Amino acid sequence: MAHPILQAEDVSKTYDGFRAINALNFYLFPGELRTVIGPNGAGKSTFFDLLTGRAQPDTGSIKYADSDAAPAIDLTELNEYEIQRLGIGRKFQTPSVFAEHSVHTNLVLSLKGPRGVFASLFHRLDSTQRDRLDALLKLVRLEDKRHWKAGLLSHGEKQWLEIGMLLASEPRVLLVDEPAAGMTDEETHRTGELLLSLRGKHSIVVVEHDMTFVKQISDGGQVTVLHQGTVLCEGKFDEVQSNPQVRAVYLGRGKH
Amino acid sequence: MSAPASLSAVEPRFFTRTQWAAFLVPTLLLALVLPLLNAFLPADSFLRPSDFTLNLYGKYATYAVLALGVDLLWGYLGILSLGQALFFALGGYAFGMHLLLMIGKDGQYKSDLPDYMVFLGYKALPAHWEPFYSFPFATAAALIVPGLLAFVFGWLAFRSRIKGVYLSILTQALTYAAALLFFRNDFGFGGNNGFTDFKRILGADLSSPDTRRWLYVASVVLLAGVFLLYRWLTRAKFGHLMQAIRDGENRVLFSGYATARYKLFVFVLVAAITGLAGALYVPQVGIINPSEMTPEKSIEAVVWVAVGGRGTLLGPILGAIFVNALKSWATRAAPELWLYILGGLFVGVVLLLPGGLVSLPAKLRAFVARLRRSGDVPVADASKPSA
Amino acid sequence: MPRLLAHLLLLLALLAAPLRAADEEQDEPAPELAAPPPDRARLVAALLAPAAEQVAAVRALVGAEDAAIEPVLTAWRAGELFLVPLPDGTRVPATLAPAAAHAPGAAPDQLVALAVADGRPILAPASTADSPEPNVRNTNIAPAPLLIASRQLRPLDTSAPLRRAIRDVLEVAGVSDPRPHVRRESIARIGQSHKTEHLPLLLARLEVEKSSVVLRTLREAVALLRLSDPDPAVRAEAFVTLGDVRSLIAAARFKEALALPVGDPSAPSAADAVGMRRSLQRIEGHWARVNFAGNLFRGLSAGSVLLLIALGLAITFGLMGVINMAHGELMVVGAYATFVTQNIFVSVFGAGSAGFHYYFVAALPAAFVSAALVGLVIERSVIQFLYKRPLESLLATWGVSLALQQTFRLIFGPANVQINAPSWLQGGATVADVAFAYNRLFVIGFAALVVFGVWLVLNRTPLGLLVRAVMQNRQMASCIGVRTTRVNMMTFAFGSGLAGLAGACLAQLGNVGPSMGQLHIIDSFMVVVSGGVGNILGTVFAALGIGTVDQVLQPVLGPVMGKILVLFAIILFLQWRPGGLFPTRSRSLD
Ligand SMILES: Nc1ncnc2c1ncn2[C@@H]1O[C@H](COP(=O)(O)OP(=O)(O)OP(=O)(O)O)[C@@H](O)[C@H]1O
Ligand SMILES: [Mg+2]
Repeated sequence: MAHPILQAEDVSKTYDGFRAINALNFYLFPGELRTVIGPNGAGKSTFFDLLTGRAQPDTGSIKYADSDAAPAIDLTELNEYEIQRLGIGRKFQTPSVFAEHSVHTNLVLSLKGPRGVFASLFHRLDSTQRDRLDALLKLVRLEDKRHWKAGLLSHGEKQWLEIGMLLASEPRVLLVDEPAAGMTDEETHRTGELLLSLRGKHSIVVVEHDMTFVKQISDGGQVTVLHQGTVLCEGKFDEVQSNPQVRAVYLGRGKH
Repeated sequence: MSAPASLSAVEPRFFTRTQWAAFLVPTLLLALVLPLLNAFLPADSFLRPSDFTLNLYGKYATYAVLALGVDLLWGYLGILSLGQALFFALGGYAFGMHLLLMIGKDGQYKSDLPDYMVFLGYKALPAHWEPFYSFPFATAAALIVPGLLAFVFGWLAFRSRIKGVYLSILTQALTYAAALLFFRNDFGFGGNNGFTDFKRILGADLSSPDTRRWLYVASVVLLAGVFLLYRWLTRAKFGHLMQAIRDGENRVLFSGYATARYKLFVFVLVAAITGLAGALYVPQVGIINPSEMTPEKSIEAVVWVAVGGRGTLLGPILGAIFVNALKSWATRAAPELWLYILGGLFVGVVLLLPGGLVSLPAKLRAFVARLRRSGDVPVADASKPSA
Repeated sequence: MPRLLAHLLLLLALLAAPLRAADEEQDEPAPELAAPPPDRARLVAALLAPAAEQVAAVRALVGAEDAAIEPVLTAWRAGELFLVPLPDGTRVPATLAPAAAHAPGAAPDQLVALAVADGRPILAPASTADSPEPNVRNTNIAPAPLLIASRQLRPLDTSAPLRRAIRDVLEVAGVSDPRPHVRRESIARIGQSHKTEHLPLLLARLEVEKSSVVLRTLREAVALLRLSDPDPAVRAEAFVTLGDVRSLIAAARFKEALALPVGDPSAPSAADAVGMRRSLQRIEGHWARVNFAGNLFRGLSAGSVLLLIALGLAITFGLMGVINMAHGELMVVGAYATFVTQNIFVSVFGAGSAGFHYYFVAALPAAFVSAALVGLVIERSVIQFLYKRPLESLLATWGVSLALQQTFRLIFGPANVQINAPSWLQGGATVADVAFAYNRLFVIGFAALVVFGVWLVLNRTPLGLLVRAVMQNRQMASCIGVRTTRVNMMTFAFGSGLAGLAGACLAQLGNVGPSMGQLHIIDSFMVVVSGGVGNILGTVFAALGIGTVDQVLQPVLGPVMGKILVLFAIILFLQWRPGGLFPTRSRSLD
């Protein structure tokens, strides 16, 4: 098997004595689409925080390896923007866009490219970038609202915009936290298809509660169940669904 | 509302043609026409601006540069720095050192040393004063000293992600500490009397109308230049990033931008330019002392911006002129009321007119429009802060 | 909540009473109301003795325990002592004093005679009393003092040997004075005088002296005189004693002696030098420790003042997220409230009266309430619109502070006003050579009480629960039915009231003027920031820490540099802990 692109081993994180993440082991392989489920407060978003430099683990290691040959990089040593520049992008659970900026500007600011002060000062969009922006706007179906203030979009539209921003930065690893929240069933399905289409080119971790959606995107891929900050079980969707432990944990929680 | 067909229209242009006109006409009027009228019209002509007026406008222009800096930091970047008066005064002091040395033997004590040094019993000029005989050096120092201080402070503060009111309080404390230091005689900058009694600049007599006119022109040109520079900064991607940092710095971080560096860049740039404005201010008012670098002065500059309208580049200029004109009127007409007026301005603008003077026309237009028809969907306008 | 405070204040007033009793230094000058001391008879006898025996009688007064000896002998020598003849033929030694104080209505040039025997005016026989107001005399059973016109009497004579005797007695009279502080001064003077002839007198006093403070001075004086003893063993013992009593005078002398070049005839011998050095070391070590403890104490009290100011700020800034730049002015409101209360007490009870000294007990609630009211007005008129805009609240409240300052100036004038400390806050106690000023002690204790009170209010009252709920999520709290408007008002008024209390305390420590608030506001903001916003405990530690560091640095670096250093230390500290000592955590992205 290939070398994992993301590798978290024995990671723990405590908040005021509460173990939000507890001896967690997690491996993500290149091109994989991994779904992570777990009840509220299981530590899913906290895990993303640790991966993206928002928080530092108390113990354990988090490594990122671009390719088999490349040396593994310790993510716990890096801060948010360094991790983003490595190619690890994140969509937040609560949609976070630049509310005062237009949809278009939101995408421009997220486009892959140099991030330095002087690069921004002398920045100009070239034609490939413009095409890319057009394509992204079309993809997230916000062409008509490209001049809208992002803060005025509906919850679902903001989710789309943030997905668009994530894609604009062309990351190698996508960490997607509850993308379907606030979307209609039809939109949710479309999101699923989008994610599936990205599989292979990108390595993706999706956190979701909507079991129909999870079933759709897991499509033969691995599903990880997180509970009380640690991995409860891992496997195909059906295996996980029939796991009695998971059932106990989820009693009355899942949508199905 | 229909979307424009081409995305390129979204690319912000520096100035449209009307904007160029709106910029150039007043600039030329102030920088060229007024001085010419002052120089060549007979003294009793109705059209001739008096020497006093020009001097006053020159002072306002340097204040406006200070205010523009406050606004770039506060209105665009979300940093309410209460240290801007410190940078302004530091530039003033750096240049004041040069002016003081240029007095030569014409001081009260007829000594090569500045008067206050003679008074305090200095035997020789301290070594760090020597280079200030040079005009270019002093000008450079007026840029570099504030810039350096801003760099050190900003580097420490932004690195540890101090922001919002905490940063305001820290900059206030910094200013306070610096003022305390300059108030001391043994700090070596003239104690609470500061520097004064300047005689000449670049060999020209400082009290002559000609010299003062040139100082005025320099101030207006500086203001126009700074306006263009800041306009350029706030357009395009850099400007969008500044505003994004203002509205949600963490999101910008997660988009891969080292926000601390952006903030530091703007902070240092503004500090240096503010210092330059201070350097131009000092020969025009003829004195620099530590009361110019108190936190109160900084906050006053913030009020100019608030009154004029923050998050716009026109607002600070209008605000600086309006408040200072009001001040010169009030301190003469009703000195004991001035603090009430200023206090009332603070409260009034914050509560009643958060957009400042520049938002008045839009408010009126919106009011008229509301009378005509019901509202439409607003267009993205990143220049309006939400905080 | 005001009731709780009133109780605290009462408690405090009660605590202050025993403090006064513990005062050791302030021995009241004994007014001669009780019977005169037994040695008085000897004094009177000496005055009345025949001229030939007077010298001996006077010299015998050495060691007599009577405070009157000194003034009487001084008066005698100056020719201001008289023998007043009484109708019964006896003559009474007396000094003269203006009559006005003893006999109301007497002419300004009339005098009364104060008898040496009991210090009271000699009374006129009823028939000879010449009172201008007969009615008064009739109703008044007490006989009036004898009135004497000036130059009616001739002073009691002195001869040259007598004057010499008087001088000698006066030189040492203080040693046996009944008042300890007079004894101490006198003994200390003799100790420094190099006059070894007084040694026996001091040694005799050593036997009978009871006051520990005087005893220490006595031992010091004896040892100082023995420094010139020819016997090296005696000198060695003196070195040790001087080290024991931490004598600063000895330290100065030792340093001087040790600094002499080796060949100098007055340089100490090798053995003496060793003794001196050892003694010097002990003395200097002791005083270094005393100074440090004193600085620590002053730092603690400065920190307590900071704490009092910052506590209100911690509530309005930390808990409510409002930057109240007018907080300093609210403090000034409290200080002026103290001033007004003082003036009311002066006009009701009279200055310096017993009642006056309790004005401060009334001033504290007055300061709290007035500042709270002003705070309430500010909250209603300005701050309520700015709860989500901290930077704007900074600007608006700055405007308010300008207006308030100008108002103070218009009402109370631009100059500082005079506030007199009540008697129970004046002076101080000395423990192990460290001086503890009462006003500073009071501030420390008061700050502790206020912190405790605030803690109680926030954690043990329904209001506290509401406050914390509203502070955490204003919208949510209002959704579940909390009347946020009221809670905001109450909280802000409470924080403002605390500022008022701080102002009242500050009025006891320093000047009160219109711009006094500006001096403290920046410091107290720094306290709140470095303590960790919204955290009372952090505020306590930060205030005490900053106050102490500031005080300890000041003697070394001067007041301004010390302050600047503290400011920079705080900036650097925030590098290390950006959230302050006790940061609050939040999960939201911004
Ligand atoms: N910065 C923080 N401070 C305090 N507690 C935190 C912090 N971050 C996470 N936690 C705690 O860690 C636990 C896990 O939270 P997390 O948001 O990771 O759960 P989740 O699995 O994402 O839940 P949900 O499905 O509701 O999004 C929660 O109990 C939360 O209170
Ligand atoms: Mg989550």
